[in-house]
Amino acid sequence: MIAALGLLVGIVVGVLVQPSVPESLQPYLPIAVVAALDAVFGALRAILDGVFSDRVFVVSFVSNVLVAALIVFLGDQLGVGAQLSTGVIVVLTVRIFANAAAIRRRLFKA
Amino acid sequence: MLDQLIRDALDSGYAEAAARAQAEQVRRPDWKRRRWGGLWAVALVLAVLGFEVVAVVIEQRQDEPAAAAARSALVERIADATSTYDELHAELSQLRAEVEAIRTSVLEAAGTGQTLVDQLAALGVATGTVAVTGPGVEVVLDDAAEGDVPDDIDQELTRVLDRDLQLTVNGLWAAGAEAVAVNGQRLTSLSAIRSAGDAILVNYRPLTRPYIIEAIGNPSTMSVDFADGEAGRTLRTLQQTYGIRFEVEDVEDLELAAAVVGQLDYVDLEDDS
Repeated sequence: MIAALGLLVGIVVGVLVQPSVPESLQPYLPIAVVAALDAVFGALRAILDGVFSDRVFVVSFVSNVLVAALIVFLGDQLGVGAQLSTGVIVVLTVRIFANAAAIRRRLFKA
Repeated sequence: MLDQLIRDALDSGYAEAAARAQAEQVRRPDWKRRRWGGLWAVALVLAVLGFEVVAVVIEQRQDEPAAAAARSALVERIADATSTYDELHAELSQLRAEVEAIRTSVLEAAGTGQTLVDQLAALGVATGTVAVTGPGVEVVLDDAAEGDVPDDIDQELTRVLDRDLQLTVNGLWAAGAEAVAVNGQRLTSLSAIRSAGDAILVNYRPLTRPYIIEAIGNPSTMSVDFADGEAGRTLRTLQQTYGIRFEVEDVEDLELAAAVVGQLDYVDLEDDS
């Protein structure tokens, strides 16, 4: 409940403040968002599995975002930023889908 | 690798934490308070996520107008360059006319000049560097009207292509045209009809539809010969299949402007001519 409220508050504040992403952060934010989504889907599945732990969620969320940004940063420095971004997105998306499928199986038994 | 990715999709940290929590729960009386703190942390993290998503979306939205602005700036520059070209072109035409007049008067003053003047005029007519008038035909080509063609036909082909213009012009030459202009661009031995992107260029000038091709020639035979020739047949097929609009009309008095041919730097007369 509080968590959903938090998400809502974040979106509302974002819409109200109309933040502009600093130039230096621009390449990392989209990847960070996908990484964060991965953590969120993992958490949803954990809730349904009954093993949710807020600490694991917060830590995995933060570390996911940081690692994703780090990988893109490294990739940019090495000149393979686009490819690494694609790789990160693919891996994270596969995980999101796998978790979403698990959630779906549990919720709808299908 | 993908298999492993899908199997281990759930962070194994959750399982470990659950096991640990179960073991610890017994000897932790303040677990309730800690749980509340954790919930707030989760809410905060999700708030950050929501904020991030909005930020990225806003960023992406802002990029679109930037692209549009760049495009309109380019369009403006093209329009500027085109109008500069038009001005210079007009100036050049005027200067050419002056040179022509002076040359004619000088040649006429000289004894043998008159034949040279006639020769120059004849050559100018043939090469397209002199404005001419005369009877002829006017061919109008235009893209298919919207909704005129069934959807299953490639919509690209319902537009007039450079090939269609080439075909029409060649058909007119074949029907005996002596001078041809497309949308006012007089064709010379250096003219090319080609497409660049979506535009058709003649004499390096982009044309806009409809395409009006004027040809001076024998008024009694040219339109018939054109319609009966290969060009006419192909255009009728295009009309039936792709809805390309095309009309041929006899005109009694056509006026074709002179083309401006740039300085030729490399061609030279053969010595023994």
